[in-house]
Amino acid sequence: MRMIILKHELKMNLKSLMIWTVCVGFTCFGCLLLFGSLEESMEEIAQSYSNMGALSTAIGMDKISIATIDGFYATEIGLIFAIGGAMFAAMTGVVALSKEEEGHTSEFLYTLPVGRRRVLLEKYAAMTVLVILFNGICIVWSVVGFILAGELPPRQEFILYHAAQFLMHMEVGSVCFLISAASRKKQVGAALGLAVFLYVMDLMCRLIPDMEKLKYVTPYYFSNAADIFTENAVDGGMVGISMAVIIFSVSAAVFVYVRRDLTA
Amino acid sequence: MGTEKAVIEIRNLTKFYGKHKGVQDVSMNVEKGDIFGFLGPNGAGKSTTIRSMLGLLRFQKGEIRLLGRDVVSGQREILREVGYMPSEAMFYPSMKVKEVVRFAARARGMDCTKEANRICEILEVDREKRVQELSLGNRKKVSIVCAMQHKPKLLILDEPTSGLDPLMQEAFFKLILEYNRQGTTCFLSSHVLSEIKRYCQNAAIIKDGAVIRQDTVENLARTNVRRVKVRHDGQEEEFVYTGEMGALLHRLSGMNVEDLLIEEPLLDEVFMHYYDHDLMDKN
Repeated sequence: MRMIILKHELKMNLKSLMIWTVCVGFTCFGCLLLFGSLEESMEEIAQSYSNMGALSTAIGMDKISIATIDGFYATEIGLIFAIGGAMFAAMTGVVALSKEEEGHTSEFLYTLPVGRRRVLLEKYAAMTVLVILFNGICIVWSVVGFILAGELPPRQEFILYHAAQFLMHMEVGSVCFLISAASRKKQVGAALGLAVFLYVMDLMCRLIPDMEKLKYVTPYYFSNAADIFTENAVDGGMVGISMAVIIFSVSAAVFVYVRRDLTA
Repeated sequence: MGTEKAVIEIRNLTKFYGKHKGVQDVSMNVEKGDIFGFLGPNGAGKSTTIRSMLGLLRFQKGEIRLLGRDVVSGQREILREVGYMPSEAMFYPSMKVKEVVRFAARARGMDCTKEANRICEILEVDREKRVQELSLGNRKKVSIVCAMQHKPKLLILDEPTSGLDPLMQEAFFKLILEYNRQGTTCFLSSHVLSEIKRYCQNAAIIKDGAVIRQDTVENLARTNVRRVKVRHDGQEEEFVYTGEMGALLHRLSGMNVEDLLIEEPLLDEVFMHYYDHDLMDKN
């Protein structure tokens, strides 16, 4: 059947992808170019940031210096990319299935001889491709930004960081995809809120010792740029949890969607 | 109950929405080559029945077979041979008509360009317009193209002519008859009783989630209901009468009858008799 639903979804989401990659990617690019002009004052700023106690720890400024371009990328730009990417993945995931019922196109789509399971899996594949494209385009913007700033990013840390970020985006997107499977309306607000809330959870588990266990819940923790750039490693256990959440979310989405009534 | 020639076989279909009854113990057969009417007032269970047939709703009890296959296990194979036209046609707003039609054909693994173009010409569909630019009637036409372009064995049409102008309604039914002559079975849910009378061979009437009658349209129209117009004592009286003729004559004999007309009601009035709960109770 030549993945007709996948192609259709990519076409329908092309505009959204362009907007988000321009917003996030260009922001990353622009900030890298800005570093050059701020470099002289960065030393002072770095000193201030590193002396803010728990807050410094929470935002990673205790382990990496914002005065270096790598440190600037890991702390400032990494944050924009992480939250921006999570929001894009969340939004893409949460509308994937529910838009058919909200837009009243379910009677058209689901009376074609494709099958609900196949529609769902192709839509998930489309979401995956869109997240890959988002990450890829933003990485290109970042690399170009580094080059124009006169440097190259540290290769291993950069690759590891973006691999972790991709997994984080997929986890957020998959959870929102499950929400989409269970919902008759596009829950965009809830999805964007979830993307931001998971970031807040990361801050909280770094700031408040009693909340340390939240690091196993929020995917922002294992994909934190400052941690990866300094340790050059990602926690394998948390990666495993993330993959388990993805597999569970997709399986649950299939289970729920194949069994429930579809409104006109 | 099922026969080899039955294209639609529904046995004891029961669908509840929580505690609210959609349909209960609905059973129906539609033979191959039939143009079958499906009538009922709003909320009777027509859409519930149709959507259960197409796999959009999961029913609690019963069995539905279309084209000899069970709708639960053989849905994809069934939908390859079925064309469906919903009562409210909605497509992706940014797509052009030709893209929607091509999408529907490709989903079936077919190239229906020739037939799609032919139907578009007959119905005067502008293929270059975007869906968001179309009126309800024009979206209906696109829905007709999508439902028919692959020459299905079974057409399921839910209020197909609502939103179409009279000329397009005529053109639409010409198409239906043409496909029917080629062997397509048509299942037509409609409120327009004249369409049922004119085009359908058999029909079923559903009310309050149950099929109350299924028969030929001719038999359904045949009834002991009579419209009586009587002028007596300077007054004109008109009523629908369903009782014994002897009792009617006895009633009239008590009046000073100046003029009397007893005639068969219009088909619409016959079907309204089935719709009208109070009238049924009195009878």
